[in-house]
Amino acid sequence: MDQDIKISIRNLYKIFGPTPDIALEYVKKGMGKPELLEKHKHVLGLEDINVDMQEGEITVIMGLSGSGKSTLIRHLNRLIEPTSGEITIDGENVLDFDEERLRKLRREGMSMVFQKFALLPHRTVLENAGMALSVRGFKTEEFESEARKWLARVGLEGNGDQYPHELSGGMQQRVGIARALASNSPIMLMDEAFSALDPLIRSDMQDLLLELQEELHKTIVFITHDLDEALKLADHLVILKDGHVVQQGEPQEILMNPNDPYIIDFISDINRARVLRVRSIMEKTTEPPEESAGDVSEHDNLESVIAKSDGNTDLVYRVTRKGKQIGVLDMKVLFRALVPTEAATEDRASL
Amino acid sequence: MATYDFLFSSLGLEEWCSEGKSDAPMTMGALLNKSKGTETEETSIWELPFPSMDALNESCAAFPKSRELTKGLEEGFLAIKDSLSVVLDPLTQPLSWFLDGALYGMLNTPWWIVIPVLLGIVLLVTKSWKLVGFVAGSLCLLAFIDYYEYAIQTLAIIFVCAFLCVLFGVPIGIAMSRSDTMQRLTIPVLDMLQTLPPFVYLIPLIFLFSVTESKLYGIAIILYAIVPVIRLTNLGIRLVDKDVIEAANAFGMTSRQKLFQVQIPLALPNIMAGVNQTIMMSLAMVVIASLVSAPGLGVLVLQGIRNLELGVGLVAGLGIVILAVILDRVTKTSLARIDTSQKQ
Repeated sequence: MDQDIKISIRNLYKIFGPTPDIALEYVKKGMGKPELLEKHKHVLGLEDINVDMQEGEITVIMGLSGSGKSTLIRHLNRLIEPTSGEITIDGENVLDFDEERLRKLRREGMSMVFQKFALLPHRTVLENAGMALSVRGFKTEEFESEARKWLARVGLEGNGDQYPHELSGGMQQRVGIARALASNSPIMLMDEAFSALDPLIRSDMQDLLLELQEELHKTIVFITHDLDEALKLADHLVILKDGHVVQQGEPQEILMNPNDPYIIDFISDINRARVLRVRSIMEKTTEPPEESAGDVSEHDNLESVIAKSDGNTDLVYRVTRKGKQIGVLDMKVLFRALVPTEAATEDRASL
Repeated sequence: MATYDFLFSSLGLEEWCSEGKSDAPMTMGALLNKSKGTETEETSIWELPFPSMDALNESCAAFPKSRELTKGLEEGFLAIKDSLSVVLDPLTQPLSWFLDGALYGMLNTPWWIVIPVLLGIVLLVTKSWKLVGFVAGSLCLLAFIDYYEYAIQTLAIIFVCAFLCVLFGVPIGIAMSRSDTMQRLTIPVLDMLQTLPPFVYLIPLIFLFSVTESKLYGIAIILYAIVPVIRLTNLGIRLVDKDVIEAANAFGMTSRQKLFQVQIPLALPNIMAGVNQTIMMSLAMVVIASLVSAPGLGVLVLQGIRNLELGVGLVAGLGIVILAVILDRVTKTSLARIDTSQKQ
């Protein structure tokens, strides 16, 4: 990778309870979550988390409720203090920050989008969008143009003078995103930002986010419990279960090589043809195939290739990146890739 | 012979008991008993008295009676009274000035200035002409039956006391909302202030301050009426949406910014409900405080009771009801205005 690591989490532990330090010793000796709860009345929130987040990428942290994903994202700006471990942002350990430095990080270094929007109900949409700037001490007149610009960018041109309760849920979350963008911080934390929205609007918002990311290249940490959403957005996918990382990596890689029954279960229900992309199943070669049926881009998903081939399994396509061939794709390989992972079939057979 | 003699004799305390006996004058009851010669009559089990202070005193004269306990309290209070006054007098003196100033100001301004100004305030806070009409009608009615002066005195006292309640109550409520220890310590005090019969407030105050000073009733009213505004400020701030507070934290607000830009504005409907309650309770107390020379409609009620002037008492009572309705409607309407301007 040619990018830099923006956020790095090392050996992060979080234990909830009256004496987390003592409980931490037990956890390090190998005590599990249920046992810890039963014997010592401490809840294991996060266990030995190690994640690197690349600059300019969307890192999606996925897990079911109770897996610790919301806890994890709140460690990045220290809304929750860890029990032990290290979080470095641009090489600086956030846990060493004093109150002043931490406030500066929260004001200028990161912004956050919340599941329940968390807008200020007594302020107009415009004032909400400019919240990060008003916190830094700017007057309404000073941040107005900036706030209006971002409101327009998320599609809320004429709504600046309304109050949040006058907007629909999707529009409120647009305000939430405008608020985060207006802070001009390099890092954006999104805590289940789209989970409260209905599916159509959610899909719209995902497209909006990808579109914004295309031009802004922020480092985004996105939390979700929805695998489809995770696969759509993620450059780097981290799957959490019961407070520990089960698997992390490129989403396509996880899809092709799941290493845990938990993940296999997870991915067994998704539409593989829509999620898998040509580049993850192609054969890498610069040799042109004997009979090429045409060119496909490495970013195309399999669904579009199937549509193109009209279901004919005998075809072979040239895979190109910016016009140059980087591999070939045999339709037979493609259909084999659509078969759920072997482990999954075994898993199902044993049920 | 009294019931619990055996207790003291078995403990060997007879000598100590008899020490107290010598100079105590004989009570009327004892004298009667003696003359009738019925002293030695046995008490049946049905009449067994609880071993209370008075019952034990009968057996042992050196044992204190219950009146001696209350007397001790009085004497203790009187003993610290002077030093307490040295501290409290200057601290509370401004209250007298405020009350006297407000009473003087409102009584010496001609009615044709006071009534329009009051109506102007009503219009300003409620933006409702209907309410202005109602208040104008009520005030004119009171003035027409020559109760204007009394009503204005009552209003002046309520304005001063309610203002001071808000001035002190809101910061106390904020402090309570920020610290659980503070809340734990304050709530019993608030409970006591709220349940203590209103007359009881007056007793220590009469000892502490002279009845001619207006701060005497001022303090009684404030102590009684400050409770709801404290409670509801505390509650309002604690009820502010946790998600919004988290967002404020995440965007790096200082606790000062959080308080003034998020918590107080969002708690305002609750705080205003507290202010409404405080005003209503001031009105209740200002009537009782007329017992200790608070001027106003309460004086007329008292006069009605003392002189058996039924009409005076009833009409004054009606005047109080009218004031209560005015104050309640005006504060509620302005509260509703705040509510609609910031629906969640």
